[in-house]
Amino acid sequence: MSTKNNRILNPEGGRYPFKVSDEYFDNLTARIMAKVDEAEQAEGTNTNASPEKGAKLISINDSSRNRNKRWLSIVSIAATLALVVTVALKFIPWTGSTTQPTDELVAEYTVDDDYNEALMTYTMADNMDVYCYLESGDDMGAEDAY
Amino acid sequence: MRKIDEQDILQRFQRPETKRAAFEEMVGAYSRQLYWQIHHLLQNHDDTDDVLQNTFIKAWRGIDGFKGDAALSTWLYRIAYNESITWLKQRRQMASIDDEDFVEQANFAADDYFDGDETEELLMQAVSTLPAKQRQVFCMKYFEDKKYEEISSLVGTSVGALKASYHIAVEKITNFLQLKE
Repeated sequence: MSTKNNRILNPEGGRYPFKVSDEYFDNLTARIMAKVDEAEQAEGTNTNASPEKGAKLISINDSSRNRNKRWLSIVSIAATLALVVTVALKFIPWTGSTTQPTDELVAEYTVDDDYNEALMTYTMADNMDVYCYLESGDDMGAEDAY
Repeated sequence: MRKIDEQDILQRFQRPETKRAAFEEMVGAYSRQLYWQIHHLLQNHDDTDDVLQNTFIKAWRGIDGFKGDAALSTWLYRIAYNESITWLKQRRQMASIDDEDFVEQANFAADDYFDGDETEELLMQAVSTLPAKQRQVFCMKYFEDKKYEEISSLVGTSVGALKASYHIAVEKITNFLQLKE
């Protein structure tokens, strides 16, 4: 450290180079207490504030509003469910029509095995042809297969 | 600083009829000490005055929650320190400065409350470049000649950490002064 720095930064410490008048400190407590009272009054005014005469009170925590909200959500959930069920029901007959003929076909071909054997011999169809026929389902009628 | 009986003050805080008088006594006892502690950070009379008032308003609001786990002076010091840091942050935001380490160029010569010569002004400029905690520790040690143990009980930092902080602060100030030569 240079000599100039040594003069500035004294190892023994130094004087804080700011001053405030004694008058400031004499009045300080009274001023602070006045501010504390002011702050408390402001808080009291805010918490005990009463509405002007004729003013409409709107509460953000109104229980009737909450009740209405609850009803609204229940109704909207019910409407959504009804919509889903309606759409689903529309598709049920279509799904049924695809499975029913298949079952009928299976029944048809399992009921009379002798007839089927004779038919297969006559048409020279092997098992693979039968599977293809069965898989073709509705798309291809018996007339088309033969 | 006026000596007060902390136990007595704490008991009087518990009773509504004596609470205000006890608080007033506490303000009288600690306001001068707190003023200078805040001034070390803000280095400006008007800002210090505002923050000091905010500190006592906060203390009044929080007095019911103060159970005497720490000394009254420590409790008040911590409120004052937090209020000062908040004030510094707001000042930085108002100046639209995002850099946390930004250092304002202090003009002490124009300050009516500055009572020093050129070398003292230079020293204060160097002090103003320190981060808040280092500035606080340096001022308490260098200007107020407080013992590390005393500072430790006030700021809640270990003596070892305070010594290191003071050492770094002195190094920074020395470097600043060397650059100014």
